[in-house]
Amino acid sequence: MSVATQAPFPVPRGLAIALAAAGPVAVGGILAARTHDASPMLAAPAIVFGVVAATGPALYIATAAAGNAPPLAAVIRAFGIALGAFGLALAGLILPAAFVSLSSVSVGTTVAATSGVVAIAGYLGLRRLASELKAAGSLDITAGASLAGGVVFVIWAIATASIAGRLWWDLAVEVVS
Amino acid sequence: MIVAVETAPTPAPTATPLARPALGMIDLLLRDRERMLARIHQGTDLAAIMRTMIATIAVTMAIVGAALGSYRGGVQIAYAAIKLPIVLLGTAALSAPALSAIGAALGRRSRLSADLALVMAALAFGSLLLAACTPLIMLGRSVDLDYHRMILAVVGMFAIAGAAALRMICRGVALEAAPGWRTAVVGLCVVFSLVGGQLAWALRPYLVRPRAPEVMFLREVEGSLFDSVTGAMRSARGIYERDAAPLGRATP
Repeated sequence: MSVATQAPFPVPRGLAIALAAAGPVAVGGILAARTHDASPMLAAPAIVFGVVAATGPALYIATAAAGNAPPLAAVIRAFGIALGAFGLALAGLILPAAFVSLSSVSVGTTVAATSGVVAIAGYLGLRRLASELKAAGSLDITAGASLAGGVVFVIWAIATASIAGRLWWDLAVEVVS
Repeated sequence: MIVAVETAPTPAPTATPLARPALGMIDLLLRDRERMLARIHQGTDLAAIMRTMIATIAVTMAIVGAALGSYRGGVQIAYAAIKLPIVLLGTAALSAPALSAIGAALGRRSRLSADLALVMAALAFGSLLLAACTPLIMLGRSVDLDYHRMILAVVGMFAIAGAAALRMICRGVALEAAPGWRTAVVGLCVVFSLVGGQLAWALRPYLVRPRAPEVMFLREVEGSLFDSVTGAMRSARGIYERDAAPLGRATP
């Protein structure tokens, strides 16, 4: 098994996962500051963890059914690292988003900035999840043996991102209107 | 008698111990960027590099700002000289952590201090190139180049300097050959463009028409650069917002 034995992040993994919770709270805080509605601060982390919790098992089941199931522990570890990557990315992007949002009087700019950083962090989290699962031997869309696993992952990633994106958009529209 | 004769051209004196270390570092940045990048990569003397680069950006951008302000003259020279360094340093401070964060998310062994030093060094190099362009700005002023051509010329100069700075960042990050370095650089570019655009837009104007009767240090806070661009696109299609944009000419 080639799962990385070195530390996956330059910070403790627990801190990275804590950032995955704190980051969405901060992004929700930016939206809340503009709209004077505190609900995004609770809803944003709920969307992140709720969607991952709801769709994560489906990825394991589908890859197992496709014959590319890594050990459950490896999948859980990969999800932990991906959430950490999401949190780290958000930590680096939150300051620019806050500046762009707070230096403007336009609510549309706030929605665009916060949505943008969540989308970028989400993409990086998914990409890290793919690389961790690939290291665990379940994904490699260039290799015939695990092609099915790669296709399953792509479909799962699109579905998960779409669900999370739709929930985030509904939240943003609700607090803005 | 021993006479030291150099028979082959020697490389530029990259490590010449100049009287002032800061000047030596700027000299190194201009003459041997590979060596500067190696020092940053090794984490050698990062604090001194940061101090020198911040000072370089502040001084050179003040010079460039003053040159831009001279197009209108008067107090605008001081205004632009103050605002331009703030734009670049503020953007770097807000954006550089994104390089570390995105890289770390993808497994790059990034260090915030080294990344910040790299970004500052690259921006200092771009600033020095811009400072080298100030005679062209002054030339434009002296030959009464019209406002729009002057704008285009300045945009061209900033584009060249920005491309040079970006190339230096790419080479610096590529030295590590770490996973995700390209994504990290692209992410930095996106964040830097958005933050820099917004900060520059918020602190405008820099280049003011010579016939402008009065100048202001800052305009009132309005929407954002994004709003301005979308508004301009709507206006270009003939869609005007009467409360916010001048009305079109009345047709007979």
